[in-house]
Amino acid sequence: MGAAGIKLHPACRVRQEGFGLLFYDSRGPRLLFAETGSLLPPDFFAETRSRDELPPGLNARQEEVLRNFMTKLLERGFLREQPLC
Amino acid sequence: MSNRFVEQGLRSPVNLTWEVSLLCNLRCSHCLSASGEAAKDELTTAEALALVEEVHQAGVFQINFGGGEPFMRPDFEQILDACHERGIMTCISTNGTLLDAARVARLSQTRLVAIQVSLDGATSSTCDAVRGQGVFARATEAVKLLAASSIPTSINTVLTTHNASEIPAMYELAQSLGVSLRVSRFRPSGRGADNWEDLRPTPSQLLEFSDWLAKSGDVRTGDSFFSLTSQERQGLGLNLCGAAKLTCCVGPTGNMYPCAFLQTDRFLAGSLRDKSFQQIWDSSEIYESFRSLRIHSCEECTRFDQCHGGCPAVAWHLKNDLSGGDPECLERCVTSIADAAKAAA
Repeated sequence: MGAAGIKLHPACRVRQEGFGLLFYDSRGPRLLFAETGSLLPPDFFAETRSRDELPPGLNARQEEVLRNFMTKLLERGFLREQPLC
Repeated sequence: MSNRFVEQGLRSPVNLTWEVSLLCNLRCSHCLSASGEAAKDELTTAEALALVEEVHQAGVFQINFGGGEPFMRPDFEQILDACHERGIMTCISTNGTLLDAARVARLSQTRLVAIQVSLDGATSSTCDAVRGQGVFARATEAVKLLAASSIPTSINTVLTTHNASEIPAMYELAQSLGVSLRVSRFRPSGRGADNWEDLRPTPSQLLEFSDWLAKSGDVRTGDSFFSLTSQERQGLGLNLCGAAKLTCCVGPTGNMYPCAFLQTDRFLAGSLRDKSFQQIWDSSEIYESFRSLRIHSCEECTRFDQCHGGCPAVAWHLKNDLSGGDPECLERCVTSIADAAKAAA
């Protein structure tokens, strides 16, 4: 079993909106509006990522905000953990 | 749910109701679109598949298929496949009579489909009075087939005055079959308008249902009862009408409307035969009018934050006034009952 990574839950989708990212969970259905601007492209969630991975080019504050955001997504079930390999 | 982001305007709907055909093998007395015969000049297979691609490009997450009976269209599974190949989630509202083991097995091959089977009573007599002789038994068999598959399945019940007392029994029936229950609001459109007085729930029944719903967190309503939503259910769904903001409707001939209950010329947003899906979403005057619609008469109500004036479609059909507030909201049910008691005294 490889290290745990994170991936968009199969029941969820995400897309870019003017304010940031719009997440959709078909199990509710429920929505999550994230004011991430253009910091995090929706394609980032297309593949399994390591827990610490973030897009390049962010400053320390942005990284901290996005790490907290990823944790929130995981807690709310929009992301799920799975082996990296 | 935050309204701020919705009011800024989304680049496309979150989901789309697509009535793929008016053709139906049943003649339910509450049918919102008065289905039966196919509409003249329904979208061809090529047009339907092109629409799937447009919807995909627009970023729509889910298509909710209805009709008519979607499986009456010979190419319906082809349309579904096109959705699933693009990762679009689908939900099919069906009467269940055309589902057999082979079809369920084919549909089970994707994890992107959910199915709602319509049943309008916990007994055959109640259900068949609305949907036709023998339909309860056939639909129940379809639910059993689906429950044995991997397809997320629910029983969908339209709340009427005749089945209101059976809703808890419907819940038990759904549980016994291993599926969930979804209750939808009866609205006065299509044949539902013709049979409105005979089928509409009374204010007392609506209040009773609201209380029951508050205690039944696992019952879905498809957000159709936000006018009755209690504090207990806040966060489980919408607290405002999503028409032209979060959702929209495509009719069988490619006409776009704010929602399935407003499929009339008055509310035609555009034809997909004239403009693209994205163009209509972005620039339709009808959609703009819904996005800026404010129900000022309800703003002083203590429940305004919970329903924002309720369903404009019901207000339109009953009062001919989109901005008049939902005539069947929780507050108006309470007032109506109090007025009746006063009059009786």
